[in-house]
Amino acid sequence: MKKLVALVLAAVMLLSLTSAFAEAEKPTLTLWCIATESDANRPAYEKAIPAVEEALGIKIEWEAFENDSYKTKIKSTSADELPDIFFTWSGAFAGDFAAAEKIYCLDNEFPNYAADLPEVMLQNSTYGGKHYAVPLTMNIVTLFANMDLLKQVGYDAVPTTYEDLIACCDALVAAGIIPFGCSGNATWCVTEYLEPIIEKTIGYEEMNEIFAGRATWNNPAIAEAVDTFQSMITKGYFDPDGLSLDNDTVKANFIAGKYAFYQNGSWNCGEINDAEGNFQAALFPVMNSEKATYGQVIGGPNDALAVSAASKDPDLAAKAAFALGKEICHYGYLAGSGLPAWTPDYDTSAVKPLVADVAKMVAESEGMVLFGDNAMSADPANVYLSYVAKVYGCEIDGAGFIEALANELQ
Amino acid sequence: MKRTFTYKLNIVLFLLPALILFVGILIAPIIMSAYYSFHEFNLVANTDMEYKGLENYRILFSSMLTNPNTGKLYANSMYLGDALGHSLVLAALSTFIQLPLALIIALKLSKGIRGERAYLSIFFMPVLISTVIIGRLWMNIYDPGQAGLLNAGLRALGIDKWLFPAITNSIKSSKLPFTGQWTGFRETALIAAFIPILWQYVGYHMLLMYAGIKGVPADLLEAAQLDGCTEGQVNRFIIIPYIKPILKVCVIFAVTGSLKSFDLIYALMKDTSRAELPSTLMYKLLFLHQRYGLGSAIAVVLIVLCFLFAVLISFAFRDKGAKVA
Repeated sequence: MKKLVALVLAAVMLLSLTSAFAEAEKPTLTLWCIATESDANRPAYEKAIPAVEEALGIKIEWEAFENDSYKTKIKSTSADELPDIFFTWSGAFAGDFAAAEKIYCLDNEFPNYAADLPEVMLQNSTYGGKHYAVPLTMNIVTLFANMDLLKQVGYDAVPTTYEDLIACCDALVAAGIIPFGCSGNATWCVTEYLEPIIEKTIGYEEMNEIFAGRATWNNPAIAEAVDTFQSMITKGYFDPDGLSLDNDTVKANFIAGKYAFYQNGSWNCGEINDAEGNFQAALFPVMNSEKATYGQVIGGPNDALAVSAASKDPDLAAKAAFALGKEICHYGYLAGSGLPAWTPDYDTSAVKPLVADVAKMVAESEGMVLFGDNAMSADPANVYLSYVAKVYGCEIDGAGFIEALANELQ
Repeated sequence: MKRTFTYKLNIVLFLLPALILFVGILIAPIIMSAYYSFHEFNLVANTDMEYKGLENYRILFSSMLTNPNTGKLYANSMYLGDALGHSLVLAALSTFIQLPLALIIALKLSKGIRGERAYLSIFFMPVLISTVIIGRLWMNIYDPGQAGLLNAGLRALGIDKWLFPAITNSIKSSKLPFTGQWTGFRETALIAAFIPILWQYVGYHMLLMYAGIKGVPADLLEAAQLDGCTEGQVNRFIIIPYIKPILKVCVIFAVTGSLKSFDLIYALMKDTSRAELPSTLMYKLLFLHQRYGLGSAIAVVLIVLCFLFAVLISFAFRDKGAKVA
């Protein structure tokens, strides 16, 4: 009996060793991303990675980092230490890597996926006419509304004009309901409110020019938009506690029914859709109809995967990056953590209603402005964010905002 | 002669590993930081180093800069002066509140009170807890909502009714009312950040002082007691002078630690701009703005200040009696 047990154990060990060797024979690629346990995209990565490993016969060793620390890590990592594939944001963020030739040009691999990936989705990661990153999902700033709270003040639909929105907010305040929640602890959350207000005042074309550094911040219309935003804060439309709350708490408060509106990225669609309650998605209304339209949105294909130029096998990594991008988009769209940057070639009947609504808004959009902190390179983006924080804290007014940015950035 | 040479060679050989580590880990990075501080470059974009002379220091120490295009003066968002001021306030609070508190606790515990070991462990525990956890803990204490222990306590006692309007009136940086957002305004964020820093390291200094007090010779204490000294007199004339070298070390640690303080503030509030310290500004400039020259200049300023304060404190604590003797 002992001999039999020993034989079985030896056979198991031999088998596991053989499988380990078989595993070792597979090409291994490394991947860094921000899909931590609490990240809305985590389930999409967990499904996409095994699928790509099987399809391409490769092994992907992946690590996830918290958003802010990841930005620091990726920027301070030398080219040789970058993983084969890494998550990046499009616009100026990936642009710095492309300019430094730290990421691999994907033009050789793109034609194999061009049928499923519209060229327009690569526009934010195209530098000098070359494609440098694979888009995952795309996202826009979305105005989420708690319809049960709106109903209490006589609204059956989300207001679509600015005057109507203000009247709705006044009614909410009178009823003791806080209209908006916004985290002041994470400045990007403030931009989710401020940027649509500026865009709906000056229009997307002018805003794109300003973010690109081709037009001046010293624009009285921007000062007016900032003052409007601040008047909404001082009139009690925003939760005063928001100044020192983090975004997770603010979102939880909205889902729990503390606020009537929560304006943030469309990656929250899945979570809000699954929460108990009656929620709808909309866009911030137009403030100056001569310059802007309702269909203009802040956002675009921003989340992407890049391939390190120092990868030992950049062609394989490029192939894996495209395959991963397609699968993450697929599972992310179904889970509601983003809108599809890739054309869906799968059954979309299971897409959550709120996600489908926002996808429709994107399909009908009349113009896009990439998120400001991604559109600008590191230094101007952070100077911009520092003044956005001051705006939310009512430390400077609109005139101070445009003067400071015009002086420091231009 | 040969023997002496071998002896000296042995000394050099034994010292060499430590010397290499000291130079490689401490001296070389300082020299490199100083070199970088006179340049501007971007690691991500792989740009060449551009020599800037003292320009980075001028930017850091100017609250107002001139726009080269318009010639107009504008407020400088990279200004180091405020951050340094905050650090000095923290250093003063550490020296004049944290250390006396640690000394009082150490003196009490060293008298052999009941549960001495347990109290030692309790006071030292915050030092052992990760700063990130302490940051989270205090975030919950300061939470402006119902869950926040501090605000819940103030509301339960009715103190918020007069305290919050009083704080609102004293806030000059913002037009918004204070409703318990302790980390939301410049004036309150600074105090809110300093309290956990002071709280965390009281136990550390207490333990150092406690060890020193325990080292006071028993015959000295007995002699003082036989001479009829009260407890206060023993503390003042025997124990405190005896542990002066330890007090000096504690003051140096408290002051230089305040200048370098970073982790707790970062853990407590992600946007550190409301309680900016030199190290948080350095982090932003290095890793967010990618202004490596400016960030290195702050590193150099911090090194110089730490060294300067260490020398000043040593001078203040110099043993005058020994000099005379």
